[in-house]
Amino acid sequence: MKKKYIVTLSFLLMTGLMSFAQTSEPFVSNCVLNAGPDAKYLKDFRVQLGQSTARSELRYKANMSLWKNTKYRFSMCNAQDSKGKLIMSIKDETNKTILSSFDKNSGKIYPYVDFVCNKSGIYQLYYDFYDGQQGSGVGVVSMVK
Amino acid sequence: MNGRAFLIVILFVCLSCRNSSNKPSEFVFPEADSVPLTEAEKLSPEAIADISKNISSPVEIANLLQTLEIPFSQNYIAASIDANKQSTNFDKALKLGILGADLGYLNMYEKTGSSLDVLSSIRKLADDIKVGQFFDFESIKRLSQNKSNLDSLLFISIDSYTKIDNYLRENERGQLSALMIIGVWIEGQYLATQVVNQFPDKRLSDRIGEQSIILGDLLLLITPYCNRDSEFKSLCEDLRIIKDKYRDVKISYTQGEPVSVEKNGALVITQTETSNVEMSKEQLDGIIEATKIIRNRLILNN
Repeated sequence: MKKKYIVTLSFLLMTGLMSFAQTSEPFVSNCVLNAGPDAKYLKDFRVQLGQSTARSELRYKANMSLWKNTKYRFSMCNAQDSKGKLIMSIKDETNKTILSSFDKNSGKIYPYVDFVCNKSGIYQLYYDFYDGQQGSGVGVVSMVK
Repeated sequence: MNGRAFLIVILFVCLSCRNSSNKPSEFVFPEADSVPLTEAEKLSPEAIADISKNISSPVEIANLLQTLEIPFSQNYIAASIDANKQSTNFDKALKLGILGADLGYLNMYEKTGSSLDVLSSIRKLADDIKVGQFFDFESIKRLSQNKSNLDSLLFISIDSYTKIDNYLRENERGQLSALMIIGVWIEGQYLATQVVNQFPDKRLSDRIGEQSIILGDLLLLITPYCNRDSEFKSLCEDLRIIKDKYRDVKISYTQGEPVSVEKNGALVITQTETSNVEMSKEQLDGIIEATKIIRNRLILNN
């Protein structure tokens, strides 16, 4: 009986993991398509984080070159099982914050931010879930006219 | 059903699912591909991943060309590449990158007829270096024929290349990933320099000048492999020649604070800080010429 329980549990765990792997792709492509009719896909960042134990900087970091005379759209989508909402910020090479999708004063979280870039360079993109919560999500970078 | 039989069913289901998507464990890589680098030669995986994300996307260059109303030209495509005549993995990976950039250009201009030829070559090259399973040929082909779905087409094309790049790096085949990335960059650079030669424009020449920002990273990516064999040595030398042409190109900056505006519930940030490229006509001409010579040599069939 105990054996059967373990085997059944293993089965459920494994099929759960497999279905996550198989469904993450449509989730990302849906997020890409929801960036708007005028947006052209460039890159995505797939973020999966556990509950943070300490309040700190946004935990997921990636670099990306952004080019002058280009309007970028940074969209964020959350998986259904996420406890927190995906937020992001961008810093330049001097570590100066250029934008944040989270307004500290109003507490508002924007699902996307448009950025008119006028300085070419390598920027640091930071992602996390609001308040360091657990979650899965995707940040999509597109170009808009 | 007893426990053992149930376990066998589970294992069968798991293995079937794995086999239905990616099959990395089935591949046997050519020995020369899997020689590990010494620790001193290695860049951290995070650093390499960052560099690969920093390379200016050919889609961005094609987008700039469209903004400038530059007409499409088949002459910029590396149509002479014959996927069947690439004998080494070096050639295959480099040309996979070059054709990837061309695919981005074709997709942006919705040139579906030409993109099918490029797609076939890409599939052959990807299969040859055992990464064809990441290239979603059928979906890309289908979307190429359906012009209304450009964003899906861009997503699947770019995502296929990202998966190939990740897989190569994670499987001790970083040199092929580096070649692919450099191929993409060189072809994007060729496209931009050929267009600016024909349609001079400050925004486009600035974008070419700004490539100095990432050229150092590109060299960093390839340097660990420069002494691997004569092909890598020659490519490293080519990149150093291009970098040398950028030696006196300067980028200056003006300071400013970003301006935030909320429009229809969305946040729009405009950067007031600017970068400015200082590049003479002679410097630009030198970059155009060096890029042309190197790229045209690289697309020759063996």
